[in-house]
Amino acid sequence: MNRALSRFVPRFELALGGLLVGALALLGVAGKAWVGLDPMEGNLMARFTPPDAANLLGTDNLGRDLFARVLAGLRWSLSAALLATSAAAIIGTSLGLLAAETEGWLRRLVLGSIDLVLAFPGLVAAIVVIAVVGQGFWPLVLTLGLLSWPVFARVVYAESLKLLAQNYVLAARLSGAGSAAVLIGHLLPALKGTLAVMLAFHFADMLIAESALSFLGLAAPLGEPTWGNMLAESRPHLFRAPWMLFVPAGAIVLVVVAANLVGDGLARTVDPSGQTSLK
Amino acid sequence: MYAYGQPMLAIITTRNSVEDSSARMKRQQLLARLRDLVILLLAVTTALFFMLRLAGDPAMVLAGADATPEQLAALRAQYGLDRPLAIQFFMYLWSLLQFDFGASLASGVPAMEKVMDMLPATLKLSGLAMGFTIVCAIPLGGWLGARPETPARRIVAAIVFVLQGTPGFVVGLIMIQIFAVDLGWLPSMGHEEVSTWILPTVSLGAFLIPKLTRVVATNINESLQEDYIRTARASGASEFEVLWSYALPNAMLGTTALIGTMFAFLVSGAVVTEIIFSWPGIGWLLIESTQNLDFPVVQAIALVITVLVFTINTLADLLFGLLDPRIRVRT
Repeated sequence: MNRALSRFVPRFELALGGLLVGALALLGVAGKAWVGLDPMEGNLMARFTPPDAANLLGTDNLGRDLFARVLAGLRWSLSAALLATSAAAIIGTSLGLLAAETEGWLRRLVLGSIDLVLAFPGLVAAIVVIAVVGQGFWPLVLTLGLLSWPVFARVVYAESLKLLAQNYVLAARLSGAGSAAVLIGHLLPALKGTLAVMLAFHFADMLIAESALSFLGLAAPLGEPTWGNMLAESRPHLFRAPWMLFVPAGAIVLVVVAANLVGDGLARTVDPSGQTSLK
Repeated sequence: MYAYGQPMLAIITTRNSVEDSSARMKRQQLLARLRDLVILLLAVTTALFFMLRLAGDPAMVLAGADATPEQLAALRAQYGLDRPLAIQFFMYLWSLLQFDFGASLASGVPAMEKVMDMLPATLKLSGLAMGFTIVCAIPLGGWLGARPETPARRIVAAIVFVLQGTPGFVVGLIMIQIFAVDLGWLPSMGHEEVSTWILPTVSLGAFLIPKLTRVVATNINESLQEDYIRTARASGASEFEVLWSYALPNAMLGTTALIGTMFAFLVSGAVVTEIIFSWPGIGWLLIESTQNLDFPVVQAIALVITVLVFTINTLADLLFGLLDPRIRVRT
């Protein structure tokens, strides 16, 4: 690849991914008005309608419009994944910074809990935690966030250790900056790129986890229009209405690919040599 | 007589002491690993015990929905559920130390027996999926990582990228639709005949292959820029040899950890795939026993999975050391 092209490719990835994410977010916000159909309202006279002009993506076993439902699911899935990612990022970054700046038992405690949470398989933990805290939007967000913060903490800790030994940080300390000022004013800005890349990939992981848990009937309440629920609802009707499967499946793939595009593009922009140990 | 006797002896003793200390270090590392495993198991057990008690009352599960308060009280007394929670916890730990994992609340069968019945199916599926993933991803990754960048390579890379964004269970559902429902070529359920292995294996592979392929491709691409490759070319190795017998072994080093992680994921994370294909493994058992609040079985599954994942990760680390002499020397 020549230099012009190699500089162009990450921008292209970023632009395409960003465009997709933007379009999806717009659909999530404004789509309801555009479709004008209730995602929960069924029309038993119009069950299993293949995609046509009235129902762009067809209808399901209760005659509910799949386009309206997939858009409602978009709002649910995007906000759940976004909030879970933010929770994980905030907890993980704070603890990672804390472990890098302090020494002794506090650092050991943070590093120990990182190892502990990472060593135990996430999905299994999520299934058990949800059995305890119950189904619903906030329990799901909390579970995903609480189980996935070590991903951020580990990387932030490792990167911060390197940064803390840099001369500019030492200079800041000499000029009287306290711990908080060093961490917030000097470390966070330097971690911006790494964090952006991680956010994009983590968002994709959270979306997959959310739809898997919904599919198992563990995340969203039954009947709620989420993509996992829609996939589960499609199973008994595969012979009659394959579009019931393809619509939510396509939606999940589209969002995850968009997030991966953004992540990849960011990773190459942040670190063009591709040496970053992320993903 | 031996002019160099003294120094020689010195060298020999130094070497012996080096070997001694490296053996000691290995022993220490092994002990540290075991200590980690014990801490991990204790943490998992403790967390699960209290979380599961928060989720529901075991006596209610045992007695069923239409039990009278007297029946519940009798059951609580029988199982020691009327004692303080802390006492119950230490009693549970004590029985665990004696390898007594309790009996399933749903069926009365020993919980560990139930898990061990299901484990072979999960291990079989994990092994099949891992084998399939390695067999597909390494040649594909090697080819993608080689130069020059042709249109064919770019198209395949794009397909790999899209597949990477497709969760395994979505692939599984789509394959059931196509190969079981529409075409009727393959069964979507069962686990004994070879034909029933194909769809679950491929759907797990479809999720893992893109990830492994990309890592192999990146590593190959980096290896190809190393000096030893130039030396190999200069000494007359063909491009084929350079790629597969010079660059690939080096590229594989960076993938052992990932393969370990993937296998650990398969042992624990094939839950959804097992549900979709009605594959009677521990993922399937986990969902069933969580929904029935069958505490002893959930606990036993968690312990088994923790030990399995830990063992796999440790083996991957050891393998990494065996494959890469540089690391062996350093540790």
